[in-house]
Amino acid sequence: MTGVISGGGQWAYVAAAYGLTALLTGAVLWASWRAMRKAEKRSDALRKDRK
Amino acid sequence: MHAYANPTRFLAIAKPLTPWLLGVGLLLVLGGAFAGLTQVPGDYKQGETARILYVHVPSAWLGMGGWTSLAVAGLVQLVWRHPLAGIAARAIAVPGMLFTALCLATGSIWGKPTWGTWWEWDGRMTSMLVLLFLYAGFIALTSGDANGTGGQRQGGTLSRGAAIYALVGAINIPIINRSVIWWNSLHQGPSITLRGSSIDGALLWPLGLTVLGFSLLFGAIVLMRMRRIIADNRVAARLRRLADDEGN
Repeated sequence: MTGVISGGGQWAYVAAAYGLTALLTGAVLWASWRAMRKAEKRSDALRKDRK
Repeated sequence: MHAYANPTRFLAIAKPLTPWLLGVGLLLVLGGAFAGLTQVPGDYKQGETARILYVHVPSAWLGMGGWTSLAVAGLVQLVWRHPLAGIAARAIAVPGMLFTALCLATGSIWGKPTWGTWWEWDGRMTSMLVLLFLYAGFIALTSGDANGTGGQRQGGTLSRGAAIYALVGAINIPIINRSVIWWNSLHQGPSITLRGSSIDGALLWPLGLTVLGFSLLFGAIVLMRMRRIIADNRVAARLRRLADDEGN
């Protein structure tokens, strides 16, 4: 017995779930990495200016 | 614990740890997803849609675990005034909200072919949606700049109100956990408990990989966001000193 939607149609739901997870996790990873690099570069540049 | 209150000491650990968490986390997630999609059989009842388990369960675990960590960080700041605790709480909020949203979205995608509906206002789904709103409220409450505006104090730590909000919000975590037992629900009961698992071993092992992998990625995101907040604080402090020097 399978669920309400059976057969090959199920793979579309699986692909949507995995795709959405990859997309959103990737976006937050990328945004966090970029924001960190930018902030640390700015902090380092300011420290060098003070020396 | 206070030995690591010094951001310089914390950064000495966080900087080399971040790429390791990222690299190993990505490998485990990719391996677990590959195994979940190609190496294990479909479920005898739900068919192929059961494979959504390998992204849905880690998301639920990290959404709930994220708020638990956030509340612990809030408590540590309130009681011990550990300066990094408030920064950690702020860094946890965005990935916590991400995984809560993913849990709701993947659950909804799983629900349609299995239950015939995208959404049902039952205990589990509604309490998880409340958690999403709690994260959104916390992010709104703590947004501000490193000069001590909004729900944060100077130095990027939490205001007292934000820390108390984090603690009060933790009441929702046991409600989510027990919701499928307390109320009638379309959602299945607990599959993995301290007494064992009702999921067959043949389907279970990729879940271990994705849970561990996503947990490491969550850790990497938290470390990156903490490093960003610390760098912003340093910039704000230096700019204040420069302004003071020019004023004198």
